[in-house]
Amino acid sequence: MWVSIWALLGLLLGVVLGLYVPLFFPVVYAKYMSVAVLAALDSVFGGIRAAMEDTFDLAVFISGFFSNALLAAGLAFVGERLGIDLYLAAVVAFGVRLFQNLAIIRRRLLKK
Amino acid sequence: MMKKTCFFIFLVALIVGLMVTFQIRTINRAAQGVPAGRDQELTIEYRRLETEKANLRKEIKDLESKLAQANKGQEEALSALEGELDNAKVAAGLVKITGPGIEITLDNPRPSSGAETPISFTLRDEDLLRVVNELRIAGAEALSINGQRIVATTEIRYAAPFINVNLTRVVPPYYILAVGDPERLRAAMDISGGVVEYLRELGAAVDIQASEDLTIPAYNGSHS
Repeated sequence: MWVSIWALLGLLLGVVLGLYVPLFFPVVYAKYMSVAVLAALDSVFGGIRAAMEDTFDLAVFISGFFSNALLAAGLAFVGERLGIDLYLAAVVAFGVRLFQNLAIIRRRLLKK
Repeated sequence: MMKKTCFFIFLVALIVGLMVTFQIRTINRAAQGVPAGRDQELTIEYRRLETEKANLRKEIKDLESKLAQANKGQEEALSALEGELDNAKVAAGLVKITGPGIEITLDNPRPSSGAETPISFTLRDEDLLRVVNELRIAGAEALSINGQRIVATTEIRYAAPFINVNLTRVVPPYYILAVGDPERLRAAMDISGGVVEYLRELGAAVDIQASEDLTIPAYNGSHS
């Protein structure tokens, strides 16, 4: 329960901070960044779910966060070089997992 | 344990929030600026224009060389025509000619003080024609009689009591100028049994002078 509130707070704070920090990515990397963001979001949801199920492991969480984001960006990069929209694979995979994790979190919150 | 989990999830969520904001801002800025793919389009267009430019430059060079060639051809043709015109003018006697040649003086027999028989001979048009004819055979390039250029249409005709050359009266003594090889011209005149010997026998005064620098005037009549 508290985990999800902390996560929401973190997201909000991040957005607010981001609005005040005038930082830009080069436009060329926008595509990679977008899938990386999606992967990171998935990691957050996965972490919340794990915390609720009491199976949370910090190492798994942190490594998952970085490896997912990097893999997603890497897929987008390779896809662009090969001429295939490979980032769609990342979008679909992380999108499906996002909804699954959200559904599990929702059920757990409602059960309590 | 729970606190630690919460803290890390909070931290990661914060990072995700930051990333989302940066991403949104970047996308917005990109939308305001150049649309994606525009740079590639422009690059392709630029390459195309570059090759087009190179081709056009080549075409310019090609056309310039063609133009130069055409001009050169025109100049050559012009100079050839001018040379031809000069030759034609020389042949038609429209320009004055300077060069080596001989000068022949023909005069009627002078009444000698001691002679009892009056000399009835005078130089006739035929005599001048024969002299001119002989000079031409000997290769004379230009001829004149008393300053009248002998051209294709020139007549030498007796019109009593004078002789007309180019419709102009000429009177004795007759100065016949011939430009050509002086040796050959003189030889043609001095040949035994030739016209000069014949005229001398008749009593005419004939004098032949070779000259290195004769000037024969241009024909000043009209050809029509």
